[in-house]
Amino acid sequence: MNPELLAYAQMAVSGGLMGMAYALVAYGFQLTFAAGKAVNFGQGELVMLGAFIGLTLTGTGLPYWASISGAVAAGAALGWFVEKSAVRLALKQHNEGWILLTIILGLFAVSAAENIWGREDLPYPAPWDDGSIDIFGISVTWPELAVAGGALGVMLLVEIAKRYTMTGIAVQAVSADPDAAELCGIRSDAATSLSWAVSGAAAAFAGTIIAPVTTVGPTMAAALTLKAFSVAVVAGLDSAIGLVLTGIFLGSAENLAGFMLGSGWRETPGLVLLMLALALRPQGIFGKTIIRKV
Amino acid sequence: MKAFRSILAFLVALSLPSDVRAADVVKIAVTGPFSGGSAPMGISMRDGAKLAVSQINRRGGILVGGKKMQIEVIERDDEGKNDRGALIAQEISSMNDVSAVIGTVNTGVAVMGDKYYVQKGIVKIITPAAGSASMTQWSRAGAADLPIFRFAAHDGIQSRMVVEQAVKLGIRKVAIFHDDTNYGVSGRDDLLFQVRNQAGRLSVVDIEKFAVGNKDMTGQLIKARMAGAQAILIWGIGPELAAVASGKKKLGYNVPLIGGWTLSMSNFIDTAGPAGNGALMPQTFIEDLSVARAKPFIMAYRQAYRVARIPSPVSAAQGYDATLLLAEAIHEAGSTQPSKIKAALENLTGVVKGAIADWKKPWSKWSPANEESHEAFRRAFTVMGKVQNGRVVLADPADRAVLERGPGK
Amino acid sequence: MSGGINLGIKEKTAEHLARLALFCFLAFLPMIWQSQYALGLLTLMAVYGILLIGLDATVGYLGQVNLAQAALFGLGAYGTALAIQSGLPFSLALLAGVMAALLPGAALALPSLRLDGPQFALSTLSFASLAVIVLNESESITNGALGISVPRPLFFSMELDARRFYWFCLIVLSAVWWASGLLFKSRIGLAIEALRDSPTATDALGIGSLKHKAVAFAWGSSLAGFAGGLHVMNFGYLQPSAFGYDLMVILLLGVVFGGRRNQWGAFTGAAAVTMLPNLLSNRMMFSVFVTLGCLVAFTAPLKALLARRRPAFSESAPAAGMALCFALALFVPNLELWRKGIFALFLFSAVVGLPEGITGALVSEIRNLLRFSPEPLPAATGGISEPAPSDTAPLRTRNISKSFGGVIAVRDISIATEQGEILGLIGPNGSGKTTLINLVTGLYAPDEGSVEISGRRIRQGSLMAASAAGASRTFQNLQPFSSLTALESITVCQRKIDKPAAMALLQIVGLESKARLRCSELSFGDLRFLEIGRALATQPSLLLLDEPAAGMAKPDIARLIELISSIRDYGITILIIEHHQDVITEVCNRVAVMNGGRLIALGTPEEIRRDPLVVEAYLGGEETVPSSGDNHAILSC
Repeated sequence: MNPELLAYAQMAVSGGLMGMAYALVAYGFQLTFAAGKAVNFGQGELVMLGAFIGLTLTGTGLPYWASISGAVAAGAALGWFVEKSAVRLALKQHNEGWILLTIILGLFAVSAAENIWGREDLPYPAPWDDGSIDIFGISVTWPELAVAGGALGVMLLVEIAKRYTMTGIAVQAVSADPDAAELCGIRSDAATSLSWAVSGAAAAFAGTIIAPVTTVGPTMAAALTLKAFSVAVVAGLDSAIGLVLTGIFLGSAENLAGFMLGSGWRETPGLVLLMLALALRPQGIFGKTIIRKV
Repeated sequence: MKAFRSILAFLVALSLPSDVRAADVVKIAVTGPFSGGSAPMGISMRDGAKLAVSQINRRGGILVGGKKMQIEVIERDDEGKNDRGALIAQEISSMNDVSAVIGTVNTGVAVMGDKYYVQKGIVKIITPAAGSASMTQWSRAGAADLPIFRFAAHDGIQSRMVVEQAVKLGIRKVAIFHDDTNYGVSGRDDLLFQVRNQAGRLSVVDIEKFAVGNKDMTGQLIKARMAGAQAILIWGIGPELAAVASGKKKLGYNVPLIGGWTLSMSNFIDTAGPAGNGALMPQTFIEDLSVARAKPFIMAYRQAYRVARIPSPVSAAQGYDATLLLAEAIHEAGSTQPSKIKAALENLTGVVKGAIADWKKPWSKWSPANEESHEAFRRAFTVMGKVQNGRVVLADPADRAVLERGPGK
Repeated sequence: MSGGINLGIKEKTAEHLARLALFCFLAFLPMIWQSQYALGLLTLMAVYGILLIGLDATVGYLGQVNLAQAALFGLGAYGTALAIQSGLPFSLALLAGVMAALLPGAALALPSLRLDGPQFALSTLSFASLAVIVLNESESITNGALGISVPRPLFFSMELDARRFYWFCLIVLSAVWWASGLLFKSRIGLAIEALRDSPTATDALGIGSLKHKAVAFAWGSSLAGFAGGLHVMNFGYLQPSAFGYDLMVILLLGVVFGGRRNQWGAFTGAAAVTMLPNLLSNRMMFSVFVTLGCLVAFTAPLKALLARRRPAFSESAPAAGMALCFALALFVPNLELWRKGIFALFLFSAVVGLPEGITGALVSEIRNLLRFSPEPLPAATGGISEPAPSDTAPLRTRNISKSFGGVIAVRDISIATEQGEILGLIGPNGSGKTTLINLVTGLYAPDEGSVEISGRRIRQGSLMAASAAGASRTFQNLQPFSSLTALESITVCQRKIDKPAAMALLQIVGLESKARLRCSELSFGDLRFLEIGRALATQPSLLLLDEPAAGMAKPDIARLIELISSIRDYGITILIIEHHQDVITEVCNRVAVMNGGRLIALGTPEEIRRDPLVVEAYLGGEETVPSSGDNHAILSC
């Protein structure tokens, strides 16, 4: 293949693989938005905490899989805590306080991480080889493949649980109509908490799989929240497949924009896409067309 | 209600005069980013300076006009933010009892804040900020007199060494990589200037920028490779430098990585791992216990702060030596008055045995035509270091003599 | 009401005096406290004050989380810096700063104004990130990351030293404060607040929404630009990275901490944002501050525990936050390292525990301690205005239908009203009555058919168009403007503010004694009457009442019947949905009955009562007919 074309292909592929991480974080937004019409503006900080906790557990000599499970459990607890402490009350009062409170909790998380783990970016050891494999002249590293595989796996797992377990169906019922679900004997508060816990777990897992690629640091996920928002908004908050496709598209678009326009413009596709989506289809973004009731 | 009262109380307390001068204390301020991205440099510099202070104080203090005075350190975190730095400069310069300031990592902070020290005539020793602008702003403004000194191998020296190193390695075509901060962009301009000085022996085939926080450098590296660059000259800080090294390894693009002294920081060496091996950078100080001069400092630092390795050895050693030089100047001035200290710094007579060198009259009377007059470091006593298996070693073993001997002027 | 000390002055006067005292104090402060640092802090505080008053326009008055203010501040600063570089004088340079923020702000506003809640926050967040990237990348214009240094230009051939510049900033701050207060007390300002409380009601009453959102956003953006200009003149050096997310979070939290919808709050927030970093560098001060914070935060949960009640989340969470702060103060050797965390804890406690911010809590404290003379109310003159007589039917629908998904809510309805008649609309729950009113007022667009009000065809689904044609409505689920007073709720609906007429309307609906109360303090029944007053204030020719008697007590219903009849006497046509039998029988000239989305009967109340179809619809074929004497008979099932 001609080297120029190959370069573009290389950029698109690496970007697309990392785009899966955006999709996974965006999936966390999808879960909590369905449950309570709120999202965590500090989701990126949960990703960061997940990575740090995973790193610490690996440092104690636990095997890789055990440390990841520990990080995921901690992520679930943190997600649950965010809902309890920042979101529940504000949503009951029908105000936008939750946006501020989730931002504030994120700020605290960064500060705590800085003091517990230090301000430096640390490498994250992974059991797989950090070398690369060559596919038609495009080099792909094992950690990158792990990001894509892990993201897909987790989303698949949660989707299956949502469809085929009683708990999953109950959560879906609550997102469709909390009052009606209560009348059927489902505790909607518990279902909402569960959604936040799963969302937190997904974020923490995302942290442990992207950290081998990006390193771990208190600010590692600062940009991630906004990118995940772009993916979530463009894809809409109904379909997991939409998220994956948009994530791949956005990751590639970012890389190509950086490649063609200069790396300073790397972040722009996500931002422009987000603004366009909001401007052109505001009604279709967070859910389906909303009917105003009076 | 109570909250409001306490705010009021706080405001009132803040407004109390703070210039009650304690008789037997010399106050110096240490400022720098102790949080945020450039914190490793700021913290190492601060800890190096505080190490020197504690050693001096343990010996009884500085002899000033026949009286031993203890040193008291005021610390301020500028977070690497310019306006925060400017406010801190205003705060310190209105304290009235601060004799001198040591610090600053981020060139933007110096550009925005140092004017307040100049207005008040307060002595400041800039270390380890290396960006050219922090001194050239004064020569450009034609300042007749200047209380600002620099104690760092500035980018002019560093970029010259980097370019010379590339030529020495027989390289004809280079790519310049730099981050999108003030430091990176001014480093790029310095490098371009030095390449022009090589009169055609070297050509820049590609210039690539990267954002702080960006961990995927594949695109930039592919472009550099397509342009045929035989070496990468780089200006940035640790984590992003490591991303470039890892990206090179991933693409199998094995060309030399040569850059500023930040390539010696632990957050580059640790993060890049084996991919960082062979990276070359100018060094004023190497954390190498086999260098007799450096050993006592390294041991003392590691012991005082319970670390196995100094986060940024260059910053730490420069902070340490700058404090020793300042103490000597206060002693020679026989006064804690900034104007006298400034004069003493310009005419140091004693020899200061530091971790980096035996310093003999590092600075001279300020001349706006030549900002070198307030620069302590020269090309001659800076060496090239190389990353090897998680440590920085001398790129050319013959340079050991420079580190042992220290610079004579 | 607790007694308190009577000051004998109006609250407004007291506020003016307090503000005057504050500015005198601030102006004299540099004379007493002669320190360059103090001057630097004070100047920054004044600049942030302007910036936060601007931010309050969107975050407070508009009620939207705006994350673009820091970026607009940066754009303003660059605008001014570039203008100074090209040699423009002081005032034009500041103007350039305002324009540099206002124009991109307008570009952002156009798409964003349709958005609410998280979408608005995201849209502004993207804009902010883009703006910083553009500033950093446009090296040929902004010098990129290297930043620009500019001198402070002469102020009309006078050199402003640091102290004079501070005074200049103070003057600007006081002017901005005054102008902002004026703007948000004007009709536009009231409309902005009404919009936050109920966008549906503002649209339906023809108050308009986009225009007012745009005004609030433009005002906020201009102030950001202005503040940016002053900022660059203050520091003389600019770098794009200074205007990123960190600054934005701090500004936003400053406004929330200080108190929203209040210039005092914005100023308090600015002071807090400026002073906080200094608080941390003085350990003793910090300990004192945290201890006091703990005392305040712990009073509420302790009170609850003493009353043997489990403390609510909003009581216990701030206490937990402050306790954590206290622990940090005790155990952490270097507090500077925890700056962000401590800031976050303070804010968390404030956002949860003091939703109105520090000033909000303080104002209610002051209102408890002191009593002020009330504002005089205008004397009532005027009242309901008669619509011009016309030959066309005030309301005519032609074969309108509407379905939601598979459910046909309204099918093929054609009705026409005569001027000055009261047409009742009844039917079982879910028969499509409210949907019909929503179609008539333009909240929904009909799938088929058309609606004409006073002969004007209503554009598809436009509340504003229906309102402009003379239709005005009340809501089954109340849509009050909670933060406005009863009087303000009326005046904001008037085409032109006319307080005497508004008082007269309040008198007509029986609320003249509650004119000064906020809607959030009014009872349910009062709010129903106020909604009618609000609708009348738009001078309608067609009034649509959606279950005005629902939930009302018996004496109120009698008042309501009287009121509706008197409105009709002015020649206003009324369409009323009601379940109370006696309301329908006593006031309606004709009654239309709906069932399953269809119009099944239309006639005088007497005819309707005998219509077998109606009887079947209500009673499922039973032979008895509800008698008019049964006051409490509620026809719906």
